[in-house]
Amino acid sequence: MREQYLDRMDLERERGITIKAAAVRMEYKAGDGETYEVNLIDTPGHVDFGYEVSRSLAACDGVLLLVDAAQGIEAQTLTNLYLAVDAGLEIIPVLNKIDLPAAQPDKYGEELASLIGCEPSDVLRISAKTGEGVPELLETIVASIPEPKGDATAPLRALVFDSTYDSYRGVIAYIRVIDGALTKRQPINFMAAGIDADADEIGVLAPDATPVEELATGEVGYLIAGIKDVSQAKVGDTVTGRDNPAEQPLPGYREPKPMVFAGIYPIEGDDFPLLRDALDKLKLNDTALVFEPESSGALGFGFRCGFLGLLHMEIVRERLEREFDLSLIATAPSVGYEVETTDGIKKVVRNPTDLPEAGQIEEISEPYVSVMVVSPSEYIGTIMQLCQDRRGSLKEMHYLSPERVEIRYHMPLAEIIFDFFDQLKSKTKGYASLDYEPVGLHSANLVRVDVLLNEQPVDAFSTIVHRDRAYDYGKNMTERLRKLIPRQQFDVPIQAAIGSRVIARETVRAKRKDVIAKCYGGDVTRKRKLLERQKEGKKRMKQIGSVEVPQSAFIEALRLDQEVTSP
Amino acid sequence: MTIAIAAPARRSGRWLEDPGFGVYVHIPFCLHRCHYCDFNTYEGQEELHERYVDALIRDVERNVVDRPATSVFFGGGTPTLLAPRALGSILDAVRDSIGIAGDAEITVEANPETVDATAFEGLLGVGFNRFSVGVQSLVPRVLEGLGRTHGADTAIDALRAARRAGVEDINADLIYGSPWETDDDWRATLARIVDEGPDHVSAYALTVEESTPLATMVATGRVPNVDGDVQAARHEVAEEFFGTAGYERYEISNWSHPGRASAHNVLYWSAGDYLGFGAGAHGHVAGRRSWATRLPRDFIAAVDGGTTTESGYERLDDDARAGEALILGLRLATGIDLAGFTRRFGPRALERRDEAIARYLDSGLLERAENALRLSGRGTMLANEVQAALL
Repeated sequence: MREQYLDRMDLERERGITIKAAAVRMEYKAGDGETYEVNLIDTPGHVDFGYEVSRSLAACDGVLLLVDAAQGIEAQTLTNLYLAVDAGLEIIPVLNKIDLPAAQPDKYGEELASLIGCEPSDVLRISAKTGEGVPELLETIVASIPEPKGDATAPLRALVFDSTYDSYRGVIAYIRVIDGALTKRQPINFMAAGIDADADEIGVLAPDATPVEELATGEVGYLIAGIKDVSQAKVGDTVTGRDNPAEQPLPGYREPKPMVFAGIYPIEGDDFPLLRDALDKLKLNDTALVFEPESSGALGFGFRCGFLGLLHMEIVRERLEREFDLSLIATAPSVGYEVETTDGIKKVVRNPTDLPEAGQIEEISEPYVSVMVVSPSEYIGTIMQLCQDRRGSLKEMHYLSPERVEIRYHMPLAEIIFDFFDQLKSKTKGYASLDYEPVGLHSANLVRVDVLLNEQPVDAFSTIVHRDRAYDYGKNMTERLRKLIPRQQFDVPIQAAIGSRVIARETVRAKRKDVIAKCYGGDVTRKRKLLERQKEGKKRMKQIGSVEVPQSAFIEALRLDQEVTSP
Repeated sequence: MTIAIAAPARRSGRWLEDPGFGVYVHIPFCLHRCHYCDFNTYEGQEELHERYVDALIRDVERNVVDRPATSVFFGGGTPTLLAPRALGSILDAVRDSIGIAGDAEITVEANPETVDATAFEGLLGVGFNRFSVGVQSLVPRVLEGLGRTHGADTAIDALRAARRAGVEDINADLIYGSPWETDDDWRATLARIVDEGPDHVSAYALTVEESTPLATMVATGRVPNVDGDVQAARHEVAEEFFGTAGYERYEISNWSHPGRASAHNVLYWSAGDYLGFGAGAHGHVAGRRSWATRLPRDFIAAVDGGTTTESGYERLDDDARAGEALILGLRLATGIDLAGFTRRFGPRALERRDEAIARYLDSGLLERAENALRLSGRGTMLANEVQAALL
């Protein structure tokens, strides 16, 4: 047996995160002599996947709130706890990893107890690695988690809480039967998607897939119905029977809503069709990923992609590069702005270059989020400073324990998608944790900053920022580009501008010398090869007006989290 | 007192539709290898000198061609490490097996520390008529930095000794823009050189070549890299000094008194044919470029064994030849003669490059003058940019 069973993707194991929920069934013979069937669903902890968490919780009757005994409560712990409380679920507090030398079970046990309002002695202490405390935990599950509450005689209603795509079997939907029962070969209907199918195979994960003839009320399992695309079996959808359909689907379904957008381009223009195929394939098991083709004067043909959040964006990008062997360049991430023009039309702008002229804009609104930071209390000042710098307004602060504080700010999503998390981590020595959730749109004084090379705007570098931050962005970008753009035959002005007003300017001075001094002993071949290399190099340059820009300059310039050091 | 040398066309420094025929002889030995040098040359190996000369002679003798050379060039290395008599015997072989035109330019490179008046007399005596002295700089600190073993006075002495011996055609080789050189150093060197009045000056911007001690010094930060802007400025200073002193720049890095351009140099830039003899020597005949095995030992063994000394070659198709001829010709200050070029390479050669030529005429790096196409003043310093596009 593999050491880790539930985290399937390589990426998950490497990052130590759980992206897709996974489920297993176990039979447990309890101390009372009865054998119980326990279904466990592992949920993602990260904010980007909050909706998946909520659906997983909707499929459960109780939760184990696992807290790392070496790290204590994190922002995600709180988010998931609040979700579980909202769902009305029985909560069992558990400290895991007590085998670690750095574990502080007494301290964190007290914190956890005060958070959920129980006695510190009620907090279970386990090590999933050594097995210590696990029998007690299983006894507690049997004793405290209520039995399934569904109606076995009602029409079938099964909740899809996860789905994955298998290239041989098609979509595998993970379901919890809430009411009624699902039998093999039953004609079914996905209510939200409006798709008819047949239950070709149903089964349980124990922990390997084991086909069964029926999934009864309360059972958790998988369903294979010849569906070719996960968007037809989305998380949150309700499966019912076609012969005796339910009248109402289960509550809580919603379409995943992308929050963060970025242009993704192949570094080699020829790879565009490969990128499209790769995105199509990823989309098969990632309903939240949206994309549409776009083109950029600077970067060529690519896709504007929408993501649930920053982690989702990073994961998609890494999977594209790793699983499809693509070299990619991504524009700076952006959020979706709602723009109302002077003629009263509202539209959503996901690419800065689509922003109308300043004169045509009546109002721009940007998405705000409620940010929760959980941190040792000594960093309160630092965190407040950081949040205030990012246009945040303090909403709430309270102590989870004398040493640990929960701080809540409202701030523009745009301010946190760019290096906020890195800043927070570095300013708190890695102790603070972050979580956020959308809280709607707010109007703001936003402008588009364009970057021009020799008077030609370069679309890839345009960005929408708050007016107060425009100069910083312009100055930073022009300075970076000055270092990255090789000297040309003529002076190249690099300007940052809001509309026609230039706010920052740098110049790449004309190169003065590019000549081979001598031709040694008639060795013309070598000289010609040098020039051929130079010619090849030029072919890889992008022409922006009359300026030749190496592809690498775009990549480096867009890595805003890294200093530019080259010449 | 100098006497005008015949064949003024070959010495005018202008592009030649009929470039003549050259012979290059390589002497791959040095007393000491300079820090910047990536030429095919070896310190020591004195035990090979005699056998190498012998092998060279035999190699020349087995390559009989009846095409008298219009220029002969002995380069190195340091040819003057060998005795005038030894160099003379190689030259004799060239004369006997290939032929040397009566008005041919016959050059030998000399390092200042290896030559005195007697040596120059000896070299004149065996048939050399042009001497290229590796002065490089006249500032001790710069010479030391470059890893040269001679002093400034030694270089001046060599130039004067050549004159005293009756040499009528003297070139001084200079290097500028090294990390050890200041603007004043360069001006001081130029002022003294101009005072000495050689007939020809080659002034090369120092290039940091891979796998040289200099490259290591730069890579490890012991020495700053050369600065293209500084070198461009020094080139302008050289223009100013030489122009005032009556020299004409006929090639990117070469100046001469009128009528004293190097015929061998012009042969290269006019894409002419030449044979190369010796270790690592390059030759070019009708679009076939070849090069000899690099190690002196291997070269000797090849001749001894009766096998070829050639270690590689490439054959250029017509268009590649034309492109190469174009980029070489553009190094000459007066550029290429368009009518002559078209006669030699056909009308397609230029037509195919029309778009690139127009672009650079437009941006001012190329210019038209009468029936010539040449680099502009600014284009001269950005020649690679233009040449790469015209290949």
